[in-house]
Amino acid sequence: MHEMGVAAEVRRIARQSVADRGPGRITCVRLAVGDLAAIEPELLKYAWEALVEGTPEAGATLEVDWRPATQTCRICGDLPGRAPGTWLRLCPRCDGVLSVTGGDDLDVLQVVFEEEDPVEREAQGGER
Amino acid sequence: MTEIDVKQKVLAANAAAAAGLRETFARTGTLVVNLISSPGSGKTTLLEKTVAALKGSLSLGGLEGDIATERDAERLRKMGIPARQILTGGSCHLDARQVERALADEGGRLSNLDILFIENVGNLICPTGYDLGEDFKIVLLSVTEGEDKPFKYPAIFSKAAVTVVTKIDLLPYVPFDLVAVREQVATLAPDGRLVEVSATSGAGMDAWLSLLTDALAKKRAEIPAAGVAS
Repeated sequence: MHEMGVAAEVRRIARQSVADRGPGRITCVRLAVGDLAAIEPELLKYAWEALVEGTPEAGATLEVDWRPATQTCRICGDLPGRAPGTWLRLCPRCDGVLSVTGGDDLDVLQVVFEEEDPVEREAQGGER
Repeated sequence: MTEIDVKQKVLAANAAAAAGLRETFARTGTLVVNLISSPGSGKTTLLEKTVAALKGSLSLGGLEGDIATERDAERLRKMGIPARQILTGGSCHLDARQVERALADEGGRLSNLDILFIENVGNLICPTGYDLGEDFKIVLLSVTEGEDKPFKYPAIFSKAAVTVVTKIDLLPYVPFDLVAVREQVATLAPDGRLVEVSATSGAGMDAWLSLLTDALAKKRAEIPAAGVAS
Protein backbone atom coordinates (compact mmCIF):
# COMPACT_ATOMS: atom_id res chain seq x y z
CA MET A 1 0.00 0.00 0.00
CA HIS A 2 2.68 2.39 1.07
CA GLU A 3 4.87 1.77 -1.96
CA MET A 4 1.84 2.24 -4.24
CA GLY A 5 1.22 5.71 -2.83
CA VAL A 6 4.87 6.59 -3.31
CA ALA A 7 4.81 5.27 -6.88
CA ALA A 8 1.79 7.47 -7.63
CA GLU A 9 3.62 10.54 -6.30
CA VAL A 10 6.67 9.62 -8.41
CA ARG A 11 4.50 9.44 -11.53
CA ARG A 12 2.85 12.78 -10.70
CA ILE A 13 6.27 14.44 -10.33
CA ALA A 14 7.60 12.78 -13.50
CA ARG A 15 4.58 13.89 -15.54
CA GLN A 16 4.85 17.40 -14.18
CA SER A 17 8.54 17.63 -15.02
CA VAL A 18 8.07 16.60 -18.66
CA ALA A 19 4.92 18.67 -19.15
CA ASP A 20 6.93 21.76 -20.16
CA ARG A 21 9.28 19.77 -22.40
CA GLY A 22 6.82 17.40 -24.04
CA PRO A 23 5.03 15.98 -25.76
CA GLY A 24 6.94 12.82 -25.18
CA ARG A 25 6.89 9.41 -23.61
CA ILE A 26 8.52 8.78 -20.24
CA THR A 27 10.89 5.82 -20.55
CA CYS A 28 12.70 5.84 -17.21
CA VAL A 29 12.52 7.51 -13.82
CA ARG A 30 15.58 7.54 -11.56
CA LEU A 31 15.02 7.73 -7.83
CA ALA A 32 17.18 7.99 -4.73
CA VAL A 33 15.93 5.84 -1.86
CA GLY A 34 17.56 5.96 1.55
CA ASP A 35 18.06 3.27 4.16
CA LEU A 36 15.65 5.00 6.54
CA ALA A 37 12.98 5.96 4.01
CA ALA A 38 10.89 2.91 4.90
CA ILE A 39 10.74 1.93 1.24
CA GLU A 40 11.60 -1.46 -0.18
CA PRO A 41 13.00 -0.81 -3.69
CA GLU A 42 11.78 -4.09 -5.21
CA LEU A 43 8.24 -3.54 -3.92
CA LEU A 44 8.36 0.00 -5.22
CA LYS A 45 9.29 -1.30 -8.68
CA TYR A 46 6.39 -3.78 -8.60
CA ALA A 47 4.06 -1.00 -7.51
CA TRP A 48 5.34 1.19 -10.33
CA GLU A 49 4.82 -1.53 -12.94
CA ALA A 50 1.26 -2.13 -11.71
CA LEU A 51 0.55 1.59 -11.69
CA VAL A 52 1.79 2.43 -15.19
CA GLU A 53 0.30 -0.60 -16.91
CA GLY A 54 -2.17 0.54 -19.53
CA THR A 55 -1.22 4.21 -19.11
CA PRO A 56 0.95 6.49 -21.29
CA GLU A 57 3.91 5.53 -19.05
CA ALA A 58 3.51 1.79 -19.72
CA GLY A 59 6.92 0.16 -20.12
CA ALA A 60 8.76 3.01 -18.39
CA THR A 61 11.28 1.66 -15.90
CA LEU A 62 12.04 2.77 -12.39
CA GLU A 63 15.71 2.84 -11.42
CA VAL A 64 16.57 3.03 -7.75
CA ASP A 65 19.79 4.53 -6.47
CA TRP A 66 20.16 3.11 -2.94
CA ARG A 67 21.48 5.58 -0.33
CA PRO A 68 22.70 3.91 2.83
CA ALA A 69 22.61 5.72 6.16
CA THR A 70 25.95 6.18 7.89
CA GLN A 71 26.78 5.59 11.49
CA THR A 72 29.33 7.96 12.97
CA CYS A 73 31.18 7.75 16.25
CA ARG A 74 30.82 10.96 18.22
CA ILE A 75 34.05 10.33 20.08
CA CYS A 76 36.61 9.19 17.54
CA GLY A 77 34.67 10.28 14.44
CA ASP A 78 35.38 7.02 12.70
CA LEU A 79 32.93 5.61 10.16
CA PRO A 80 32.96 1.91 10.91
CA GLY A 81 31.93 -0.40 8.10
CA ARG A 82 28.44 -1.75 8.40
CA ALA A 83 26.64 -4.40 6.40
CA PRO A 84 23.47 -3.00 4.79
CA GLY A 85 20.46 -3.27 7.07
CA THR A 86 22.45 -3.98 10.21
CA TRP A 87 23.09 -1.52 12.98
CA LEU A 88 26.15 -1.43 15.18
CA ARG A 89 25.54 -0.56 18.79
CA LEU A 90 28.91 0.86 19.71
CA CYS A 91 32.00 2.03 17.89
CA PRO A 92 34.24 -0.99 17.34
CA ARG A 93 37.29 1.20 17.93
CA CYS A 94 36.48 3.19 21.08
CA ASP A 95 33.09 1.86 22.32
CA GLY A 96 31.54 5.30 21.81
CA VAL A 97 27.83 5.62 21.00
CA LEU A 98 27.22 5.84 17.27
CA SER A 99 24.92 8.42 15.72
CA VAL A 100 23.01 7.91 12.49
CA THR A 101 23.11 10.36 9.62
CA GLY A 102 21.58 10.42 6.16
CA GLY A 103 19.61 7.63 4.58
CA ASP A 104 16.36 9.59 4.57
CA ASP A 105 16.46 10.30 0.82
CA LEU A 106 13.36 9.75 -1.24
CA ASP A 107 13.93 11.92 -4.28
CA VAL A 108 13.15 11.85 -7.97
CA LEU A 109 16.59 12.46 -9.50
CA GLN A 110 15.98 12.26 -13.21
CA VAL A 111 13.27 11.59 -15.75
CA VAL A 112 14.19 10.20 -19.16
CA PHE A 113 11.72 10.69 -21.98
CA GLU A 114 11.51 10.23 -25.71
CA GLU A 115 10.35 13.30 -27.49
CA GLU A 116 7.65 12.72 -30.04
CA ASP A 117 8.72 13.33 -33.60
CA PRO A 118 6.97 16.58 -34.61
CA VAL A 119 6.69 15.46 -38.27
CA GLU A 120 5.06 12.20 -37.29
CA ARG A 121 2.75 14.06 -34.95
CA GLU A 122 1.79 16.41 -37.77
CA ALA A 123 1.03 13.40 -39.99
CA GLN A 124 -1.23 11.97 -37.31
CA GLY A 125 -3.07 15.25 -37.10
CA GLY A 126 -1.64 16.06 -33.70
CA GLU A 127 -1.68 19.60 -32.49
CA ARG A 128 0.78 21.68 -30.51
CA MET B 1 15.99 10.67 -25.65
CA THR B 2 16.06 13.54 -23.20
CA GLU B 3 17.17 13.42 -19.59
CA ILE B 4 15.62 15.93 -17.24
CA ASP B 5 17.26 16.51 -13.88
CA VAL B 6 14.41 16.80 -11.43
CA LYS B 7 15.90 16.49 -7.94
CA GLN B 8 12.54 16.73 -6.22
CA LYS B 9 11.49 15.08 -2.99
CA VAL B 10 8.90 12.42 -3.70
CA LEU B 11 7.03 13.50 -0.61
CA ALA B 12 7.29 17.21 -1.48
CA ALA B 13 3.50 17.62 -1.57
CA ASN B 14 3.24 16.01 1.86
CA ALA B 15 6.09 18.16 3.14
CA ALA B 16 4.36 21.32 1.92
CA ALA B 17 1.13 20.35 3.67
CA ALA B 18 3.10 19.51 6.83
CA ALA B 19 4.84 22.90 6.72
CA GLY B 20 1.44 24.57 6.51
CA LEU B 21 0.23 22.61 9.52
CA ARG B 22 3.37 23.48 11.45
CA GLU B 23 2.76 27.16 10.72
CA THR B 24 -0.83 26.91 11.96
CA PHE B 25 0.27 25.20 15.16
CA ALA B 26 3.06 27.75 15.68
CA ARG B 27 0.41 30.47 15.65
CA THR B 28 -1.85 28.68 18.11
CA GLY B 29 1.04 27.39 20.25
CA THR B 30 -0.37 23.88 20.03
CA LEU B 31 2.07 21.09 20.82
CA VAL B 32 1.53 18.28 18.32
CA VAL B 33 2.79 14.77 18.98
CA ASN B 34 2.62 11.94 16.46
CA LEU B 35 2.30 8.54 18.17
CA ILE B 36 3.62 5.58 16.21
CA SER B 37 3.72 1.92 17.23
CA SER B 38 2.56 -1.59 16.43
CA PRO B 39 -1.15 -2.32 16.82
CA GLY B 40 -1.97 -3.16 20.43
CA SER B 41 1.02 -1.49 22.06
CA GLY B 42 -1.28 0.67 24.17
CA LYS B 43 -1.40 4.05 22.40
CA THR B 44 -5.07 4.73 23.08
CA THR B 45 -4.90 3.51 26.68
CA LEU B 46 -1.89 5.73 27.34
CA LEU B 47 -3.81 8.65 25.82
CA GLU B 48 -6.87 7.94 27.97
CA LYS B 49 -4.75 8.05 31.12
CA THR B 50 -2.91 11.13 29.86
CA VAL B 51 -6.20 12.90 29.23
CA ALA B 52 -7.48 11.93 32.68
CA ALA B 53 -4.38 13.47 34.26
CA LEU B 54 -4.09 16.64 32.17
CA LYS B 55 -7.55 17.68 31.03
CA GLY B 56 -8.19 19.75 34.14
CA SER B 57 -5.29 22.05 33.33
CA LEU B 58 -4.81 21.79 29.56
CA SER B 59 -6.99 21.72 26.45
CA LEU B 60 -6.39 18.46 24.61
CA GLY B 61 -7.60 16.79 21.44
CA GLY B 62 -6.99 13.70 19.38
CA LEU B 63 -6.78 12.67 15.74
CA GLU B 64 -7.09 8.92 15.44
CA GLY B 65 -5.80 7.05 12.40
CA ASP B 66 -7.20 3.60 11.71
CA ILE B 67 -8.20 1.49 8.78
CA ALA B 68 -11.69 0.90 10.12
CA THR B 69 -14.02 1.82 13.02
CA GLU B 70 -14.59 5.00 15.03
CA ARG B 71 -13.56 3.14 18.16
CA ASP B 72 -10.49 5.09 19.20
CA ALA B 73 -12.04 8.53 18.63
CA GLU B 74 -15.04 7.39 20.68
CA ARG B 75 -12.75 6.29 23.51
CA LEU B 76 -11.15 9.74 23.63
CA ARG B 77 -14.50 11.55 23.38
CA LYS B 78 -15.67 9.48 26.33
CA MET B 79 -12.72 10.95 28.22
CA GLY B 80 -14.20 14.37 27.54
CA ILE B 81 -11.97 15.74 24.79
CA PRO B 82 -12.67 16.48 21.10
CA ALA B 83 -11.43 13.71 18.84
CA ARG B 84 -11.79 12.88 15.18
CA GLN B 85 -11.28 9.56 13.51
CA ILE B 86 -9.41 9.51 10.20
CA LEU B 87 -10.36 6.31 8.38
CA THR B 88 -7.61 5.48 5.94
CA GLY B 89 -9.59 2.77 4.19
CA GLY B 90 -6.65 0.39 4.02
CA SER B 91 -3.75 2.78 3.82
CA CYS B 92 -1.00 1.99 6.33
CA HIS B 93 -0.17 5.49 7.58
CA LEU B 94 -1.53 9.02 7.93
CA ASP B 95 -0.32 11.75 5.61
CA ALA B 96 -0.31 15.51 6.13
CA ARG B 97 -3.16 16.14 3.69
CA GLN B 98 -5.45 13.81 5.62
CA VAL B 99 -4.59 15.71 8.79
CA GLU B 100 -5.23 19.01 7.00
CA ARG B 101 -8.67 17.85 5.83
CA ALA B 102 -9.61 16.47 9.24
CA LEU B 103 -8.68 19.72 10.94
CA ALA B 104 -10.63 21.75 8.37
CA ASP B 105 -13.69 19.53 8.90
CA GLU B 106 -13.48 20.15 12.63
CA GLY B 107 -13.44 23.92 12.01
CA GLY B 108 -10.63 24.90 14.37
CA ARG B 109 -11.81 22.73 17.27
CA LEU B 110 -8.65 20.61 17.00
CA SER B 111 -6.22 23.22 15.71
CA ASN B 112 -6.34 25.58 18.66
CA LEU B 113 -5.45 23.47 21.69
CA ASP B 114 -2.63 23.05 24.16
CA ILE B 115 -1.77 19.56 22.96
CA LEU B 116 -3.02 17.67 19.92
CA PHE B 117 -2.28 13.95 19.90
CA ILE B 118 -2.12 12.29 16.50
CA GLU B 119 -2.45 8.56 16.91
CA ASN B 120 -1.06 7.07 13.73
CA VAL B 121 -2.16 3.79 12.13
CA GLY B 122 -0.63 0.87 14.05
CA ASN B 123 2.52 0.23 12.04
CA LEU B 124 6.24 0.63 12.79
CA ILE B 125 7.28 1.12 9.16
CA CYS B 126 5.15 3.25 6.86
CA PRO B 127 4.27 6.19 9.15
CA THR B 128 8.00 6.83 9.65
CA GLY B 129 8.46 8.76 6.42
CA TYR B 130 5.42 11.03 6.67
CA ASP B 131 5.80 14.42 8.32
CA LEU B 132 2.44 15.46 9.79
CA GLY B 133 3.58 18.89 10.96
CA GLU B 134 4.17 17.46 14.42
CA ASP B 135 6.63 18.79 16.98
CA PHE B 136 7.98 15.30 17.46
CA LYS B 137 7.35 11.64 16.84
CA ILE B 138 6.88 9.25 19.72
CA VAL B 139 7.36 5.53 19.29
CA LEU B 140 5.76 3.08 21.71
CA LEU B 141 7.01 -0.42 22.41
CA SER B 142 5.06 -2.70 24.75
CA VAL B 143 6.94 -5.27 26.79
CA THR B 144 4.88 -8.06 25.24
CA GLU B 145 6.36 -7.34 21.80
CA GLY B 146 9.91 -8.41 22.61
CA GLU B 147 13.05 -6.40 23.15
CA ASP B 148 14.54 -6.76 19.69
CA LYS B 149 12.20 -4.26 18.01
CA PRO B 150 14.45 -1.16 17.95
CA PHE B 151 17.17 -2.91 15.94
CA LYS B 152 14.57 -4.62 13.76
CA TYR B 153 12.81 -1.33 12.97
CA PRO B 154 15.70 1.14 13.24
CA ALA B 155 14.15 3.92 11.14
CA ILE B 156 11.35 4.84 13.51
CA PHE B 157 13.44 4.32 16.64
CA SER B 158 16.12 6.64 15.32
CA LYS B 159 13.63 9.29 14.18
CA ALA B 160 11.46 9.37 17.29
CA ALA B 161 12.35 11.99 19.88
CA VAL B 162 10.83 9.80 22.58
CA THR B 163 10.57 6.04 23.01
CA VAL B 164 7.86 4.95 25.43
CA VAL B 165 8.12 1.42 26.77
CA THR B 166 4.55 0.52 27.76
CA LYS B 167 2.87 -2.14 29.92
CA ILE B 168 5.82 -2.37 32.33
CA ASP B 169 3.42 -3.84 34.92
CA LEU B 170 3.69 -7.04 32.85
CA LEU B 171 7.49 -7.27 33.17
CA PRO B 172 7.34 -10.06 35.79
CA TYR B 173 5.36 -12.25 33.38
CA VAL B 174 7.18 -11.81 30.06
CA PRO B 175 10.77 -12.33 28.98
CA PHE B 176 11.61 -8.72 28.11
CA ASP B 177 15.12 -7.35 28.54
CA LEU B 178 14.63 -3.70 29.45
CA VAL B 179 18.40 -3.09 29.60
CA ALA B 180 18.77 -4.30 26.01
CA VAL B 181 16.05 -1.91 24.88
CA ARG B 182 17.70 1.00 26.66
CA GLU B 183 20.97 0.17 24.90
CA GLN B 184 19.37 -0.14 21.48
CA VAL B 185 17.50 3.14 21.86
CA ALA B 186 20.66 4.91 23.07
CA THR B 187 22.43 3.62 19.99
CA LEU B 188 19.76 4.56 17.49
CA ALA B 189 18.71 7.86 19.07
CA PRO B 190 21.56 9.25 21.19
CA ASP B 191 19.61 12.47 21.73
CA GLY B 192 16.27 10.77 22.26
CA ARG B 193 14.40 10.27 25.51
CA LEU B 194 13.17 6.99 26.92
CA VAL B 195 10.32 6.63 29.35
CA GLU B 196 8.96 3.43 30.84
CA VAL B 197 5.32 3.43 31.84
CA SER B 198 2.34 1.38 32.81
CA ALA B 199 -0.90 3.15 32.04
CA THR B 200 -2.64 0.46 34.09
CA SER B 201 -0.64 0.75 37.33
CA GLY B 202 0.38 4.38 36.83
CA ALA B 203 4.09 3.57 37.13
CA GLY B 204 6.25 6.03 35.22
CA MET B 205 3.28 8.22 34.29
CA ASP B 206 4.73 11.26 36.05
CA ALA B 207 7.84 11.20 33.84
CA TRP B 208 5.64 10.87 30.74
CA LEU B 209 3.32 13.70 31.74
CA SER B 210 6.14 16.08 32.61
CA LEU B 211 7.81 15.29 29.33
CA LEU B 212 4.65 16.56 27.60
CA THR B 213 4.15 19.61 29.80
CA ASP B 214 7.85 20.55 29.55
CA ALA B 215 7.68 20.30 25.75
CA LEU B 216 4.56 22.47 25.73
CA ALA B 217 6.22 25.07 27.99
CA LYS B 218 9.28 25.06 25.73
CA LYS B 219 7.15 25.58 22.65
CA ARG B 220 5.23 28.42 24.27
CA ALA B 221 8.51 30.04 25.34
CA GLU B 222 9.76 29.92 21.76
CA ILE B 223 6.55 31.52 20.49
CA PRO B 224 5.86 34.44 22.85
CA ALA B 225 2.60 35.42 21.12
CA ALA B 226 1.19 31.90 21.25
CA GLY B 227 -0.40 32.15 24.70
CA VAL B 228 -2.55 35.01 23.47
CA ALA B 229 -3.95 33.04 20.54
CA SER B 230 -5.69 30.50 22.73
